[in-house]
Amino acid sequence: MTSFVPLTTVFPGLVWLMAALALVQVSRRAALWRVGTAAPVAWLDGLAKLPRRYLVDVHHVVARDPYASRMHAVVAGGLLASSILTALAILPPLAEFRPYWFLVALAFGVTAVGSLLVGARRYPVKQKRLSAGHFQILPFLLLAYAVGGTITALLLAFGGGGLFGSVALALAAAGGLGLAYEVRHGPMRHAAAGALHLVAHPRPGRFEGRPDTALQPLDLDAPRLGSEMPADFTWNRLLSYDACVSCGRCEIACPAFAAGQPLNPKKLIQDLVAGLSPAEPAYAGNPYPGGRAAEGERGALARLIGPDARIHPDTLWSCTTCRACVEECPMMIEHVDAVVSLRRHETLERGALPEKAVGPVTELRQSGDPGGRPLAARTDFAAGVELPRMAERGGAEILLWLGEGAYDLRYGRSLRALVRLLRDGQVDFAVLGAEERDTGDLARRLGDEATFQALARENIATLSKYRFARIVTADPHALHALRNEYPALGGRYTVVHHTAFLLELIRAGKLNPGRLPDLSVTYHDPCYLARYNGETEAPRAVLDAIGVSRSEMARSGRRAMCCGGGGGAPVSDVPGERRIPDIRMAQAAETGAGIVAVACPSCTAMLEGVTDRKAEIRDVAELLLQAVEAGR
Amino acid sequence: MKIAVLLSAGLHPVSGAPVLPRVEAQAIRMAAGLGASSEIFGLHAGPDAAAIAEALGQGLDRIEHIAVAAGDDPVPALAARLAELAPALILAGRRSQGGDESGLVPYALARALSLPLVSDVVAAAREAEGALRLDQSLGRGALRRVLVRGPVVVTCHPDAPAPLAYAYGRARRGRVETLAVAPAAVPAPAIAMEERPYRRRPKIVKGAPAGGSAAERLKAATGESGSASSGRLLIQPDPEDAAREILAYLRQIGVLAPAGAGAEPKI
Repeated sequence: MTSFVPLTTVFPGLVWLMAALALVQVSRRAALWRVGTAAPVAWLDGLAKLPRRYLVDVHHVVARDPYASRMHAVVAGGLLASSILTALAILPPLAEFRPYWFLVALAFGVTAVGSLLVGARRYPVKQKRLSAGHFQILPFLLLAYAVGGTITALLLAFGGGGLFGSVALALAAAGGLGLAYEVRHGPMRHAAAGALHLVAHPRPGRFEGRPDTALQPLDLDAPRLGSEMPADFTWNRLLSYDACVSCGRCEIACPAFAAGQPLNPKKLIQDLVAGLSPAEPAYAGNPYPGGRAAEGERGALARLIGPDARIHPDTLWSCTTCRACVEECPMMIEHVDAVVSLRRHETLERGALPEKAVGPVTELRQSGDPGGRPLAARTDFAAGVELPRMAERGGAEILLWLGEGAYDLRYGRSLRALVRLLRDGQVDFAVLGAEERDTGDLARRLGDEATFQALARENIATLSKYRFARIVTADPHALHALRNEYPALGGRYTVVHHTAFLLELIRAGKLNPGRLPDLSVTYHDPCYLARYNGETEAPRAVLDAIGVSRSEMARSGRRAMCCGGGGGAPVSDVPGERRIPDIRMAQAAETGAGIVAVACPSCTAMLEGVTDRKAEIRDVAELLLQAVEAGR
Repeated sequence: MKIAVLLSAGLHPVSGAPVLPRVEAQAIRMAAGLGASSEIFGLHAGPDAAAIAEALGQGLDRIEHIAVAAGDDPVPALAARLAELAPALILAGRRSQGGDESGLVPYALARALSLPLVSDVVAAAREAEGALRLDQSLGRGALRRVLVRGPVVVTCHPDAPAPLAYAYGRARRGRVETLAVAPAAVPAPAIAMEERPYRRRPKIVKGAPAGGSAAERLKAATGESGSASSGRLLIQPDPEDAAREILAYLRQIGVLAPAGAGAEPKI
């Protein structure tokens, strides 16, 4: 060693220098986050829960890809352990204790193995969903730091040094300082921003085991409605977009991406990041299918949406709000919130709804139904079936919420089956009839918060007139609005999905279904039931109770694929190469089941509309009614 | 170019809620395509401005409201205000939608202001020297292009481009100015009429064959064998050809004597 300073001080000093550089780079990012609007953050609570959120919630998502999970455990664990151990060696007693350096070398060795695992995903051929760009040099930086660190630590353990030590240290310094430098624009940003994001997450309820999926109500008296530019997002949401590690799990899950519509959740988040910072390097992942290259101004005050702006409106309106991307995101980013916030600005401030969506939203605002149909006609499906009205009864044990599906001829069959089952089970129920307005779900997902709140207030006023214990509905969109989104506007109800309620009736012995062993059924989970509300078991339990042979699609439960019917996507109707329901029915056909069981009017309409389908579409209630009739 | 859009307090045809009639929202879009929003304003005469405030969200920044008691004739008040402002174009709907107004208001206004009225317009564009090019719907997709100069009253047809989407934020920023004028209370002209519930009746097709196949009856009903189908459509013809065609047609239907019988006009 030619230096006057011993290697035992320079090496830990390098790690401290890295930490300082990383801190400088993070603070340069933080200056960008500060342009965002204020957000309440429980800092102490978040910090205390950070380890749990990381080790439990994040790991739960990461572990779905076992290779990525093992790779990350080895490389991140090794990197953290080796860096902390080396940094501690700044204390002379540790620095002079040779066995300690063996421990350090071991940690660096583990990191080296991890960096090889990182490299194997990118070389010789990069996995399709991963982004290239700065991410392609990550394995080299890691390897340089890890190998340089291992050799330096071994030399210190054996008491060596000299020129070889300098070279090894230089290698470690190149890798380590490179990693620290990459905290601003490169791959290592996800580590710093990700940790802060877990502390300051805009939906802390997600980590408490309950589905925190309700859209946050918008203050309609705010000076600006929705998000037009990066500075309109709250600061912790800007931080959350920086946490994106470009792993591409969202784009694999996204139904619009699969259908070739111009949406890629990863690119959308990266566009929000790049829109905030003009210095951001070019995006190097998969583009929006059929979309155009990013253009337009960048900066905290630059408009994000527009035919000539960074994100084309078609991208925004392709989203079905199915939350598949959110479910798959290991960094816990809330893509759908971003989409709705951008839509709110487009709709409320600019009136820039997609042309085809204007009609339904206008009718919703003016007449309380997206089709402009008379509210009294909602019960027409029940011609010949006795359907008690709340107005005549004043109250009932169960309020049956019919939803928009009641107007649909096909879905009327499902509702008639449900009504007959409720009669068979001697349930005391009633409907609102002509007093029921749309829940406003469609308007809310399309960004028309004003119409949603007006409809919600009217519905809450109607519901307050009557006495009932619970609301039962067959429409998961209505269920989500009534159960999770009305409380913020003052309506608190116990809302049960019809599959859960029918299961209750079976378990209580009020319905005695026969068995239908000849039917082969696969169940399609509605997004608004499975992902938004975490209910995946009740419909399956009902199907098991009637003894059908049940098979699962490759994507099921909370990870099921959307039918394409949510978020106003059917009325926005952004063209793509394929149709989402066709893709889903092809997945259902892989199971070989003759019947696709559904539990949502949107799924019924979307899947039944698939041409050349081999399987029948039946609501769970229809199948149960068939079993009950068979059991008589 | 100053544009006035006449607004009426309509009711939704199904729900009965107070809404801006769709065709008036289409008229706002037509106006927005012609000029800067600062020069476009809405005008409403009636007891209450709340019903038409919705128009603020559909492209208007400013609405003038003249308070007129319920049951009074809005035309004198509207005519006085329009004569004062002298807009180059006055746009209106073509019939009432459940409210108190009637489709006669634009005609009454045109007469009071001595302005021409072009009805059932589906598209409007500006031409050179302040002229307006208006496409008038003649039904069944046929259009007539009209070029007008000077102030004009135009009624909008439902086939015009669909209304702009309602933007809550714009509605919030727009303003309704209630004019402090006290027009003489003129009771609305009493038109003898009665109200009956609507009954759907079969459409009577004139000259339709009573028998024949369904295809023949359809052909008769859609006019393919009617008088229109036997005519010839000339687009921007040579004046001499056009004159010859007109003469031939007039002879054919017996207005002029057949060729050769008597003195033929030289053309």
